[in-house]
Formats: sequence, structure tokens, C-alpha cells
Amino acid sequence: MDNLTQLFVEAGTLMLAGMVFVFAFLGILIIFINKVLLKLAIKFPDPIIQSKPQRKTNKTNVEKGGISPPVVAAISSAVSQYRQQHSKNK
Amino acid sequence: MESLHILWMSTGLANFELGQVIMMLVGCLLLFLAIAKNFEPLLLLPMGFGAILTNIPVAGFSEVGGLLHYIYYAGIDTGIFPLLIFMGVGAMTDFGALIANPKTLFLGAAAQFGIFATLFGAIALNAIPGFEFTLKDASAIAIIGGADGPTAIFLASKLAPELLGAIAVAAYSYMALVPIIQPPIMRALTTEDERKIEMAQLRHVTKIEKVIFPLGVLLMTIFFLPAATPLVGMFCLGNLMKECGVVDRLSSTAQNELINIVTIFLGLGVGSKLSAEAFLNVETLGILALGAVAFSIGTASGVLMAKFMNKVSKEKVNPLIGAAGVSAVPMAARVANKVGLESNPHNFLLMHAMGPNVAGVLGSAVAAGILLALVG
Repeated sequence: MDNLTQLFVEAGTLMLAGMVFVFAFLGILIIFINKVLLKLAIKFPDPIIQSKPQRKTNKTNVEKGGISPPVVAAISSAVSQYRQQHSKNK
Repeated sequence: MESLHILWMSTGLANFELGQVIMMLVGCLLLFLAIAKNFEPLLLLPMGFGAILTNIPVAGFSEVGGLLHYIYYAGIDTGIFPLLIFMGVGAMTDFGALIANPKTLFLGAAAQFGIFATLFGAIALNAIPGFEFTLKDASAIAIIGGADGPTAIFLASKLAPELLGAIAVAAYSYMALVPIIQPPIMRALTTEDERKIEMAQLRHVTKIEKVIFPLGVLLMTIFFLPAATPLVGMFCLGNLMKECGVVDRLSSTAQNELINIVTIFLGLGVGSKLSAEAFLNVETLGILALGAVAFSIGTASGVLMAKFMNKVSKEKVNPLIGAAGVSAVPMAARVANKVGLESNPHNFLLMHAMGPNVAGVLGSAVAAGILLALVG
């Protein structure tokens, strides 16, 4: 029984020391990442790979299958005009 | 007539003992789990086959002069195989998620409580007649909670080689059972709202950070815990080969051909320890039970730590990612992601969970180093 108690005491000490050490070790690693690696990342950023400039195209929205801005403006104006007239008639 | 008798006595049928038959069935069970259930098949298959080979009567696979005997002593007794596997794991590990969110290292640290709490459990089992675990045995058993196969085999081969077979079987079986063991614990310890938490997107990690990181980890291990340098050193070597970008061939070999070859021999070597006299005893049952306890406590402490961090931290932390702190890369991270998706189908936690997941690998290697330094 004494032997078992002794083993429990040793296991408890081991648990306490082990958990404190694991947290301390990984805590220092957090400091290392925040203080050293982050500064290195700011000082030496990854080189930006220049992508090939795309050819300028003069395609309008109409050509892409959309609606050109002047047409949208004309429709919006017509809709608001209609709504105004409609509300007055009421 | 006498020659017929000699011939009969040289057959397996005449020499089989009940224990050997049972251990062959255990080997077949491992093969079944590997092939039919896909439970860690890369290791359980050679391990199961090794168990069958080592229990063949007369053949003497595990006796001096036998193949498995030499495989065990060349690769496992010396610690070479687990360390080579660790190098390969390092070459496959991306620390990007961890570097982008370094506080997840605390989750990896908290999950190691499973290891140290199981130490208590192993010692407590000594109160039951039939169990006589020393502190070395208890430490080797407790490392199952690290959910890291190579670390468990490395430590068991150093501290309690006679328990290696049972410890390896327990470690790999429970690693395969992570998707079954973890979710109920995760759900029990978190609320629906906590599981829905969406985390901020991780920042971009530069190449120089990834190259310097393994060197920094190694330097810290050299300063503070040289006993862990075999494990951490090989892990960092593999990771540096991957990240530096100038030795792609070596990196590719470490994470493919080399790790595959070593896995075959590691499995066979561990299987050679699955003999009837070493495995068929009440202590094996204790080890299997303690392994489950270790996994559960590790998962729970990771989740509770993540809950605590969510309370005190400015940025939100989904407590589910804490469960990934038990190592078991990448299975535990996938489980965290899956459980998170059940509560919030738009919440992908995989990358966030990879941080504590790789932190768990480092944490369990550090814990193994501590146990080696204090008990070994």
C-alpha cells in the first residue's frame, strides 16, 4: 500500500511537471512565432508573381450578353416615370 | 514408424498451443479491421500478419535467427523505425495553419492532459490484483493518449518493451476509432451555439516562416528538452525538406517510398511482439481500457481549453477545434470539421482544426520527451 501511495505521489509530480512543461514549451513557441516569424514575414514577404497582363478588350456588356449602362438608365427612368403617373392617377 | 512420428512432430498441428491459436485469431481480427473496416490499414495489416507469423509453432520467426526477431531488434528496439516514420510525417505536415493562428498551440498542449491523467489511471489499476505496472510501464501506456503511433511505439520500446504489442494495438485501434470516440464527447461538452461559431479567416503564411519554423522548434528542443530531440529532430528534418523547396526528391522519398517501406517493417516488428505469453494476460485488457480513457480525457481537455479560449480571447474560437489537439493527423481535424458542419452547414473548420492537430503532434513529442527524461 505504501508502495502504491509512493507511485501515486510520483505520478502526480510527473503530471504536474509534465503539463507545466508542455504549456511552457508551446507557450514559448507562440512567442517565437509572434515575435520572430511574423517580423520575418513582414520583412521578407513572398515575391508577387506577376501574372501576364490581360489583353484590353473593348467588349461592352451588350457584347457579353448583358445590358449596357445607358439602356439600364433609360429603363430605370421609364419605370420611375410610369410609377409617378400611376400613383397620380390613383 | 519412427520417421512418421518425427514427421508428425514437425507439423504445426502437433505443436499448436491454445495461446498461439488465440493469437492467430487476434492477428486475423487485425487483418479484418484493416481490410474490411479500413481501420489504419497501413499498419494494422502488417501488424496482424506479423502476429500470425510470430505464433506459428516450430517456425521460430521471433526467436534468435528468425526474421521478425531481427526486424524487431534492428528497427524497433533501436528506435530507428518510429523515428524514420516521424521524419516522413514531418515531410507531410504543413504548419501553415498553426503559424497563422499560433494560440492553437495551447489546444495541443491541453490535449496532452490525456497522457498525464492516464498515468494516474495506470497506477490506480495496481490496486486490482493481477496488475503490477511500474512507473515506466504506466508512462508507456499513458502515451497512447498522445494519439501518435510512432511516438507511442518509440516510448514503449524504450520504457516497457514487453508491453509494446498491446500498446501499439491500442494506439492504432483507437486512432482508427477517433470518428466514433470523439463526437459524443465534443457534443456533450459544447452547446449548439458554440458549435456554430465561425472563425476568422487565417492569414497568409510566407515561405520564410515555414522554413524557419522547424529550425526554431529544433533549437528550442535542444535548449529545453534534449531528450525529445530524436523525435522532434527527425520531424523537423522531414518538415524542413518539404518547406525549403530545394530537395523535393528527398522530401518525396521521405513521405512516400521510405515511409511505406518502414511501415511494412514496423508493422511486422510490432506484430512479432504479439505472442501469446506477452499479450494474453489481464494487463492487456487494462492497457486497452486505459487507452480509451486516455483518448477521451485528451479530447475533453482540448475542447474545454478551446471553450476557455473562446471566453477570454478577442477572436472567436469554435470549441470543436480543441478536440483536434489530440494529434491523430488529419483524422481528428476532419472529425472537428464534420461535427461543426452538422450545426452550421456553412462553417468549414478543417483549416482551423489543422492548427491544434499539428500542435498535438508537437505536444505529444514533447510529452514523450518529458517522460523519457523523468522516467527513462
